[in-house]
Amino acid sequence: MSNGVDPRLGYSASAWQRACHECDLLLIENTAPVGHRILCPRCGALLHRASKHSIGYTAAMSLAGLVLFIPANLLPLLTFSLAGYSGENALYTGVLALYREGFIWLALLVFLCSMLAPLLKLLALLFISAGSSWPPLRDYVAAALRKLEHFQQWAMLDVYMLGVLVALVKLGDLGDLGIANGIYCYAALMLCSTLAAANFDAEAIWLRLDAMSPQELPA
Amino acid sequence: MTETSRLEGAVGIELGRQTCLTCFQLIDGLEPGYCPRCGERVAARIPEAISRTWAWVITGTLLLYPANKLPVMSVTRLGQTETDSIMGGVFTLYQSGQLAIAILVFVASVVVPGIKLLGLTYLCLTVQYGRNFNPLRVTRLYRLVHLIGRWSLLDLFLISILVALVNLGSIARIEAQSGATAFATVVIVTMFASHSFDPRLIWDRHRKVQADG
Ligand SMILES: [Zn+2]
Repeated sequence: MSNGVDPRLGYSASAWQRACHECDLLLIENTAPVGHRILCPRCGALLHRASKHSIGYTAAMSLAGLVLFIPANLLPLLTFSLAGYSGENALYTGVLALYREGFIWLALLVFLCSMLAPLLKLLALLFISAGSSWPPLRDYVAAALRKLEHFQQWAMLDVYMLGVLVALVKLGDLGDLGIANGIYCYAALMLCSTLAAANFDAEAIWLRLDAMSPQELPA
Repeated sequence: MTETSRLEGAVGIELGRQTCLTCFQLIDGLEPGYCPRCGERVAARIPEAISRTWAWVITGTLLLYPANKLPVMSVTRLGQTETDSIMGGVFTLYQSGQLAIAILVFVASVVVPGIKLLGLTYLCLTVQYGRNFNPLRVTRLYRLVHLIGRWSLLDLFLISILVALVNLGSIARIEAQSGATAFATVVIVTMFASHSFDPRLIWDRHRKVQADG
């Protein structure tokens, strides 16, 4: 625009690659070079971030996360003892305790955010990154990618971790509070899950899928 | 406005293009339908965005009262039961000298839902009636509202951890109370509210105001 070219006239209509999802500005580029990201020149929305790490990296991280998921969910995270009695907290015991007390809605919510959504997110990331190079899986990968956009916001391992830390401080003066082994698995799970999602490049996968079935591209 | 040149440009809806919000495919035509690439529903703008956002915001605001008034949990120690509301819990942390944690819980449970509800109210009013506003700043407010919401569930997770951990019969016992249900529902409702909103409407309104002069 600074050189006087009106973008409405300066490019042919087929040059538009993308419209900003937050301000609807039409853009002629939609992918950043590897290691870079592109922001909307008008509103600053993050349009694409091309990770330096390959799709294999996401697959490895999500696989590691899935392996860690089992001990992180079954082993106790915290222990509490007072006057000779003791209690433990694993991810699922909080859900069960709420359920037994009749708070079914809260139990479901905690189950969804701390167990189900993180598990589905890791499974989807692994399936998408490992399966995207195999044409027969194209439609399933596309479906997983679409679902992932919807449920990954419900995966809240990081928020739950903060809850564990607050619990540690809060209970310090009520009784003896200890850290159990599960917490290390849990922290590692959180790290793998974050790295897998942070380096995941959905745009690159969509481009791969486009290349597999050109007949499904819009005219 | 000095920023005017930067705020202009070709806009999808004016040139007959719509965007899939799931895979960001650019699609010719403005008729609602399905994305040819990912199969998700597409429309030029999120349908009924403003009325749906209003509905969620009003629901959330009404629930704020029970969420803050009712106790969220009770602590029984050697036969004596005390109940804590959200603010009571913050105050207890503060009194026991845990200032940093008290601030953390206060921000996550009180400030964040408050900012979300007020922010979304402001966003809806701007899109419907705004005359003189900076669309870039309003978009940044939207992003803030959208990003911070999930951290409010901190208090719910904290309650679930405490309930499981401190269950030693009459010696010490922590139980959830009805305020927790109201509080968690407020958080979920505000998440739905920010997902129903369409930030592109901010720019539509801005263009309309500029065109009207
Ligand atoms: Zn933009």
